[in-house]
Amino acid sequence: MSGNSLVLPIVLWGRNAPTHCISSLLINPRALLFGHTASVTCLSKASAGSDKQYLVSASESGEMCLWDVNDGRCIEFTKLACAHTGIQFYQFTIGTQREGRLLCHGHYPEILVVDATSLEVLYSLVSKISPDWISSMSIIRSHRTQEDTVVAVSVTGILKVWIITADVSRMQDLDPVFEEESKPIYCQGCQSISFCTFTQLSLLVVCSKYWRVFDAGDFSLLCSVPSENNQSWVGGEFIAADKVIIWTEDGCSYIYKLPASCLPASEHFRSNVGKKAEGSIPPLVYSIADRADKQLEEGWEGQCVVVRLPDSACDPELYTPELQYIQRPLEAPLLICPPVTRFFFGRREPFHKLLIQGDSAGRLTVWSIPETSPLQPLSSAAELQVSVSISLQEAFDKLMPSPAGIIDQLSVLPGSNDPIKVTASVYIPSQGRLVCGREDGSIVLVPATQTAIVQLLQGEHMLRRGWPPHRTLRGHRHKVTCLLYPHQVSPRYDQRSLVSGGVDFSVIIWDIFTGEMKHIFCVHGGEITQLIVPPENCSTRVQHCVCSVASDHSVGLLSLRERKCIMLASRHLFPIQVIKWRPCDDYLVVGCSDGSVYVWQMDTGALDRCVMGITAVEILNACDEVVPAAMDSLNHPAVNLKQAMTRRSLAALKNMAQHKLQTLATNLLAADNADKGNLPKYSHNSLVVQAMKTNLTDPDMHVLFFDVEAVIIQLLTEEAQRPNPTLVSPETLQKAPGGADKGGSFLANKIFKQVKETIKENIKEHLLDEDEDEEEEQRRREEKSKSLSLLEYNLTMDTAKLFMSCLHAWGLNGELDEVCLNRLGMLKPHTPISFGLISRGGHMSLMLPTFKDSLLRQLAKGCAEGRKLSVSEIVGKGTYGVSRAVTTQHLLSVISLANTLMGMTNATFIGEHMKKAPARTVPRLTVSLSACMALLCRLSLFLSLSLNRARSLALSLPFILSASRSVPLYPFTPLKVLMCVTGWSQLAAMHCVMLPDLLGLDKFRPPLLEMLARRWQDRCLEVREAAQALLLAELRRIGQSGRKDTIDMWAPYLPQYVDAVSSRKSRKITHTTPLPRQVVN
Amino acid sequence: MLGTERSTLSELAKMTAASQAERTVLEEEFNWLLKEEVHAVLKQLQDILKEASRRFSMPSPGLEGQLKQENFILGSSTMDQVKGVLTLQGEALTQADINIKVAKSSQVMHFAFRDDKQWKLQQIQDARNHVNQALQLLSSRDESYHFKTGAEVNKLMDAVMLQLTRARNRLTTPASMTLPELAASGLMKMFTPPMPGDVMVNFYINLSKLCLTVYQLHVLQPNTTKNFKSAGSSVLHNPGAMFEYNNTKFEVSHVHKVECVVPWLNDTLVFFTISLQLCQQLKDKCVLRQR
Repeated sequence: MSGNSLVLPIVLWGRNAPTHCISSLLINPRALLFGHTASVTCLSKASAGSDKQYLVSASESGEMCLWDVNDGRCIEFTKLACAHTGIQFYQFTIGTQREGRLLCHGHYPEILVVDATSLEVLYSLVSKISPDWISSMSIIRSHRTQEDTVVAVSVTGILKVWIITADVSRMQDLDPVFEEESKPIYCQGCQSISFCTFTQLSLLVVCSKYWRVFDAGDFSLLCSVPSENNQSWVGGEFIAADKVIIWTEDGCSYIYKLPASCLPASEHFRSNVGKKAEGSIPPLVYSIADRADKQLEEGWEGQCVVVRLPDSACDPELYTPELQYIQRPLEAPLLICPPVTRFFFGRREPFHKLLIQGDSAGRLTVWSIPETSPLQPLSSAAELQVSVSISLQEAFDKLMPSPAGIIDQLSVLPGSNDPIKVTASVYIPSQGRLVCGREDGSIVLVPATQTAIVQLLQGEHMLRRGWPPHRTLRGHRHKVTCLLYPHQVSPRYDQRSLVSGGVDFSVIIWDIFTGEMKHIFCVHGGEITQLIVPPENCSTRVQHCVCSVASDHSVGLLSLRERKCIMLASRHLFPIQVIKWRPCDDYLVVGCSDGSVYVWQMDTGALDRCVMGITAVEILNACDEVVPAAMDSLNHPAVNLKQAMTRRSLAALKNMAQHKLQTLATNLLAADNADKGNLPKYSHNSLVVQAMKTNLTDPDMHVLFFDVEAVIIQLLTEEAQRPNPTLVSPETLQKAPGGADKGGSFLANKIFKQVKETIKENIKEHLLDEDEDEEEEQRRREEKSKSLSLLEYNLTMDTAKLFMSCLHAWGLNGELDEVCLNRLGMLKPHTPISFGLISRGGHMSLMLPTFKDSLLRQLAKGCAEGRKLSVSEIVGKGTYGVSRAVTTQHLLSVISLANTLMGMTNATFIGEHMKKAPARTVPRLTVSLSACMALLCRLSLFLSLSLNRARSLALSLPFILSASRSVPLYPFTPLKVLMCVTGWSQLAAMHCVMLPDLLGLDKFRPPLLEMLARRWQDRCLEVREAAQALLLAELRRIGQSGRKDTIDMWAPYLPQYVDAVSSRKSRKITHTTPLPRQVVN
Repeated sequence: MLGTERSTLSELAKMTAASQAERTVLEEEFNWLLKEEVHAVLKQLQDILKEASRRFSMPSPGLEGQLKQENFILGSSTMDQVKGVLTLQGEALTQADINIKVAKSSQVMHFAFRDDKQWKLQQIQDARNHVNQALQLLSSRDESYHFKTGAEVNKLMDAVMLQLTRARNRLTTPASMTLPELAASGLMKMFTPPMPGDVMVNFYINLSKLCLTVYQLHVLQPNTTKNFKSAGSSVLHNPGAMFEYNNTKFEVSHVHKVECVVPWLNDTLVFFTISLQLCQQLKDKCVLRQR
């Protein structure tokens, strides 16, 4: 994210946990991270200390991301042409410093050494002799030579050794480093290699059909064990100097005691090195494994069992390892691919030895490996129990109340416990409606904020059944797979039509206002997978079509106007991956999953060509080049008449121009849309609901993106549309009847004049061009013209209500909570709210609902014991203890919104004005008065930071009060207005300065100074003020020593000329500070 | 009225009975698919891919453990300025003889690989490794393995197809390089006599063809009036492309591309395409039957 707009996601997970297949393992709870476009191939930690917990991930497509584990912030990302299959973190010693490096290998013949903070490739380790892909590697620091050694095995089974000297580590240019040693060890299909960290003298190599132990000095073979019964080994590790654990593809693990010949401590060490010439594979006592399997198969299902097997009667030769434990995976019903197993060895006290396994059902299983071998070695059987086993779904199921889905309250069928799954959804921002297609073929239209309020907040709506009012469309026989609201993409479509596709092969057009089914298309021979809107400059005929893609690899152009399919392209052999357009040539370009590209003529339906390879890539890329339509028609003599006609279509042009103008103003202020895919497309909407799923068969979960800036703009726009307060002249105020105190009113007038000016400026600043007004008006007209049976409500205020209610730290100040509930109309959440965090490049992390698991458990316990522990106690406090970045974002949002609301007329979420858009009949005087009071109070927030000024303000307030009392025309009593305003200011003040004290430092992560400093000059005035207030408060809180630390930390990044003035206040410096990339997100 | 209602009711009953029967049949069919058909397809795939994999390491007929050496004469039908004779042994070019006729002077330059050097074609190695990985995936599920769900088959097919697509893409889409990258590559240092500064060569595979590109360069004057624009990365650069290397600015004056079909690469491409189609068909069957 460019860091400009302040967007906060809130996620509604629904009851079904996102399914995931664990493809790489690292202990990592808390949040789900989004950002990769292809499946993740490997993970690695990327920092050494416990204070900074970073994690690096790589995907099939060559992307690499560096994440902060605490809050899921993406710190850095990069993309290389090659895909990594393995990454290891290592700290190389350079002089006295230790530099974090990531060593990557994959589908390329080198090992790339990457900087662990910037993700830049520093240098590469290259093989001179028979270079090939590296299948696994290991890094060790030799005590003798004080050098770091990288040992790797290539896919052809050649062992390579690189020595990383300090010179090499310091190297900056991309000179390759050649290997020190290269030795064939005849290990085909090597899966993993690892050093014995205990003795540093042996090396374990696990291949799919056998595992071997080598001497780490000269790489001579010490021991080799084949796999039994067609099982293939996939990994292994030393767990002690004399013990190894090896795991198989199907999830069994075996612990072997190494024979004496492999133990450097033993006198027999290397005693068989010479013998290996006869048969490098020592005879294994087969009876052991056989018996083990039989025993296990007799109904040990669902348990991990460790069987201590009797030593067989055969000669236990020196180099025969002894099988000590076997672990069986839990029976999972639907394992679709081999599980991943890793061994973790705690580096600190207590030295846990854990075996962790993750499978395709998303289950994690942990075994604790015992230190000692079973005491009676011969006859008794020891069991190794699963220490912990958890899957995300299990955790979701345990939660009380269960995680909310967006329309759960409308979807529970009588007699069943689970709601009908939502399978497709689309959000219509202009109407604030969410359209959800469900598993049973029905489609529900529901106001998005209202339904989100039901899911998240407590209130009177809890008593009503079937709330909020909604509309159900029935027509599909089975699951709805995709939904499209074409008018949202382009205004050329009728705003009534909604298009849906289902697994019943049909595409249906609906009228969303009447709920009528307009037409059913049955042209495809498979489930509809996608519905797409053609681009603007297609032929008129195509412009009124939607493009449908089905799982029978066919593409159709369905005309909404003619109600018929005008083209069906169905000769593709592979699933369709991408649809692109070449409007000026009248081409539809279909990219298939195998890389082939089909070019279809839209008008005739003829297949123009079918290509592969470079040409295919070039054609697809050429479609992305934007060709301005007007220019094109002039330069291109070959453009057919029909298209020329299209471009001459005045109405369409006019329409477009109008639309562009309207959106221009808002777009200027709203976030730049250049960010990556999962950012809301309509960023000038304060709320965007985005459906997500991790698996095609999963139900949708919904993420609500709140754009704080847009909420503020909308609130101010609505406020500005009320009669202009500047029209109220001081004269009218003076003429006001009643025995107002003359002296008082004089002073009040003076203040009022000043305040008025500020308001004027303020409004000027926030008022967009007239276009914006027009747009708003048009929108309202549209809304009025609709014959809607659905509830009318004020979208902006509702959004603000939902957002503020979610953000407020409930349960810290009882008095304020009362004010919030009764005066301001906020609602308490009834479940912990899962927030998310959007960071660099549109990477997003979402908190899982289980993140407050421990607290919830405490709650359940409390209930059982009859002790009352309020839900809101848990709800409010937690989000400020997650991470500093999250705190910053949330505080900024809550304070800037509270400030905005303070300045509004009806700054409460209770009352008639919530039902519809603001009316124009509000009496003038009240507006001006309450607005000026609001502004004063708002000033008070900032002034309150300096006490003496606050006192002067407190003095002036009564005058205002008396002045307002003299005005007869007001719908709210001034007291009430004032209560609202002070309520908001209290709320802002609490979040601004009191949180650290109220929460205690252990539960409060202070906001990040860098993030606040970056908003010091934010383009949105409210956000800017909030950031400034927060920054000042934080600087005050950290005290002198904290400020000094900050300056010390930032000093290296400051330009030289600032040094002379470094004694100035640190905030001054922040203006000119180019901060290190990794701290600013 | 009542009669018609009754008849529709009985029809409905019939229909549900029929669909019940149909459902059982479909279920049986799906079981058959998982038990028999999947393994048959997997076997077929393995056979094809083994054949493909074999092409990458053809043993030489006389010598044990040595890969077969093949000579290819590279030429083009339209021009005869460049001729090359390349010896391919597995993934490595072991010998190369290149003759370049310089247009103006009609002088013929001759270059050959140094005896101690050979050039590895990374594209072939990558394709080979990808095929072997696909084979490894397939062999992990032999006849004794019982597939329980369609999802399991799908997942396996996805993994296999990913490797196969990559293998094919490596051959069909050569790496695009910038000219400075090319100038810095080790290839330039492999020839005897050493390549002059104004000639660059590049080898790559495009589809089933072994290609050789020769760029003739001329040095641009440091303070040339011509506006210098560095060319991006491309598989084949056009005359006029400019670049800077070692603080000298160059412009490509002539580009010669010659190629020759490698028959066994053509075979492997065909094998990849067939296996990809087999995989997709199996996937489609699983998806259809699953419901």
